Amino acid sequence: MPTKSPSPESLKLVKDYSRQAAVFAVARVPGKTTCYFGSSDFKVSVGDFAAAKFEPRDLYAHGSYVTGVALAGTTLVSGAYDGKLTWWDTEEDETIRTVDAHGKWVRKVVASPDGKLVVSVADDMACKVWDAATGRLVHDLRGHKEKTPTHFTSMLYTAAFSADGKLLATADKVGHVVVWDVAAGKEIGSVEAPVMYTWDPVQRMHSIGGIRSVAFSPDGNLLAVGGTGKIGNIDHLEAKARVEVFDWKAKKQVAEFVADKSQGIVNKLQFAPDGSWLLGAGGAGEGFFVFMDVAGKKITKQEKVPMHVHDFAMSETADAVYAVGHNKVAAYKLG
Amino acid sequence: MTRNFFCGSADHAISRRGFLGAAAAVGAATAADMTQLNVLSSPALAGEMKKKQKRVILLWLAGGASQLETWDPKPGASTGGPFRSIPTDVTGLHISELMPEMAKRMKTTCVIRGLNTRNGDHGSAAKLMMRGRKDEASVKYPDLGAVIAREMGRVESKVPDYVTFYTQTEGRGMAPGESGFLGARYSPMELTTNNMPEYIKKLDGINELDHQQRADLRELLSKQFNQGRTSTTLASHNEAYERVRGIMASDKLFDITQEPQKVRDRYGPTQFGEQTLIARRLVEASVPFVRVARAWWDSHGQNFETHQEMVPELDHVMATLIDDLKERGLLDDVMIVTLAEFGRTPQINSSLGRDHFAAAWSMTMTGGGIKAGSYHGKTDDKGNKVVDGEVNPASLFATLYSALGINPHKNYHVGARPIPLVEPGTEAVKDLIG
Repeated sequence: MPTKSPSPESLKLVKDYSRQAAVFAVARVPGKTTCYFGSSDFKVSVGDFAAAKFEPRDLYAHGSYVTGVALAGTTLVSGAYDGKLTWWDTEEDETIRTVDAHGKWVRKVVASPDGKLVVSVADDMACKVWDAATGRLVHDLRGHKEKTPTHFTSMLYTAAFSADGKLLATADKVGHVVVWDVAAGKEIGSVEAPVMYTWDPVQRMHSIGGIRSVAFSPDGNLLAVGGTGKIGNIDHLEAKARVEVFDWKAKKQVAEFVADKSQGIVNKLQFAPDGSWLLGAGGAGEGFFVFMDVAGKKITKQEKVPMHVHDFAMSETADAVYAVGHNKVAAYKLG
Repeated sequence: MTRNFFCGSADHAISRRGFLGAAAAVGAATAADMTQLNVLSSPALAGEMKKKQKRVILLWLAGGASQLETWDPKPGASTGGPFRSIPTDVTGLHISELMPEMAKRMKTTCVIRGLNTRNGDHGSAAKLMMRGRKDEASVKYPDLGAVIAREMGRVESKVPDYVTFYTQTEGRGMAPGESGFLGARYSPMELTTNNMPEYIKKLDGINELDHQQRADLRELLSKQFNQGRTSTTLASHNEAYERVRGIMASDKLFDITQEPQKVRDRYGPTQFGEQTLIARRLVEASVPFVRVARAWWDSHGQNFETHQEMVPELDHVMATLIDDLKERGLLDDVMIVTLAEFGRTPQINSSLGRDHFAAAWSMTMTGGGIKAGSYHGKTDDKGNKVVDGEVNPASLFATLYSALGINPHKNYHVGARPIPLVEPGTEAVKDLIG
């Protein structure tokens, strides 16, 4: 059993730094304050939050926005809207390989906890499981429809491993979530969160929303999904941040959180190591952190963040959170 | 009936309807060989000939589509967004990767990338871009549809002159069809709830024989009443009845089940696709002007998601319409205009959105007398301003009218006051006219 995670009430902003671009993805080196970033300037960079002067160094570039970075041991795998995945040797500072992985935008890249697998999801609605060491395609998982019910192209936004690496969850625009057995490459469960998807057929004939973040509880029994609720005026993302938690095996929603002080989309979710709380982050014009007590079914803390947060990385003991977002990155401490 | 369609201009002493009437009087055989009348030596009549069969479909991208995610991409610029640009079949012309079908058809189309319309307010900008000019306190100007209806419509037509589809509610009130000083005769038939006009169908309780007999009785009573009387009001009344009967007979034009399934499949199952197919049916039946409004492009948040959803639909529907018109031999006569009230800011805001922007944006024209495979105007590297070939609303409308064979400098009259069709001193962009 992990040690007790720090209280959300202890959250404190340590430092925030301006960036020229929107930072969409962050991966932290285990045990360190060094992070890798993927940004809207098409670049992948590395920086140390503990450095006297925070000056991230550019490593290499993609052909479009870099939306996923994942560390598998000493290998960094990045994915971008150009559909490509690039393997980078962080020790040798060189590219290992670049793969034409997807036909459309890559939305997220995540590594398994043991670092042996890397998963990419993209708007071609494919979830691809890769051997992190060799780049071999292990599974091409298809559990999401390519079209929305109104005949527009759908989007596959996010994926997350369970703590033991045996489960993988993927989630899409219309609120469909699939749970996969990673070893077998088989679908073993699904849940629906349709409120996350707004289709307005009358006023604007346009859709918005979708599930942008997923996270398993430490024991793998609960699955949290994040996005927004139904939006009236979808021009401006005017909706309260929303999180739903499921007992995925029972296909039953066990908790629902609507953050009354936090507008926009929940782009990242992660449970505390001891499972005592769930942290969501995101934004619209402004950004937020939302701490949730899942067992108590209540929001315990909402905090404004100095940018729309696209991703964060948490330390192993949850005593540090590195948030990245629109033209800014920020370091927080807990405990 | 006395109807004066003389526009008042010396150049137009022979009006369109006067011309058609005269041509009809000398018979169809003469009309088939107009060179015998030496009409082509007259610029006014040459224009009348050029515009005779012209029609317009306006694809109205309500809310403001992004030029950067459509016709004027800036890949790699800090303002460029995530989409790449792709080459087209016109050498040197690249458009957004979201439009692969149009990339194969740009040889049919003209792009204006240098629009500077100076108005970023939805309501007044929509009016501006539907009229080409601002209303005055005492003069309400007709919009493009009303002018085309006035210029291209035929008195004897059994189809509507101006049809507008706007079935979303957002932005509809900002850009209603407006006939202005041309009056109700050129107001649009507005479809706002579904694809079939309300009340166009004969009541089920009245059979066709009843319907005809009622018309005959009305006509008989009208003739009896008219004996010994001279009444323009009565004549107008009779014309209105004839017109209503004509429009009622056009209900099948709005019924896409009349189309083969493979044609419906080509346009696709979306509402925009279906309405555009109806627009093609209408122009094929000589309706002069149809607007298909597609809302809502106003993407202050999640601009790229919005355009990822909506641009491929536009790409598909527009390409299909071009192909369909071309295959039917109609593309020279039907102009497709793709236009919004403004574009979107190069700057990407913190919601990953783009805001209202009228200083440097884009639109297209295809067919109907416009120079195919052309592009005009250039914006700077980040898309912030026009650096070459700036076009304002008045010159855009002068270009549209000129391509359609309508003299943009002709005058209408409101009372004794001559009203030029476009703002005085405005010239068409001549290198865009085919």
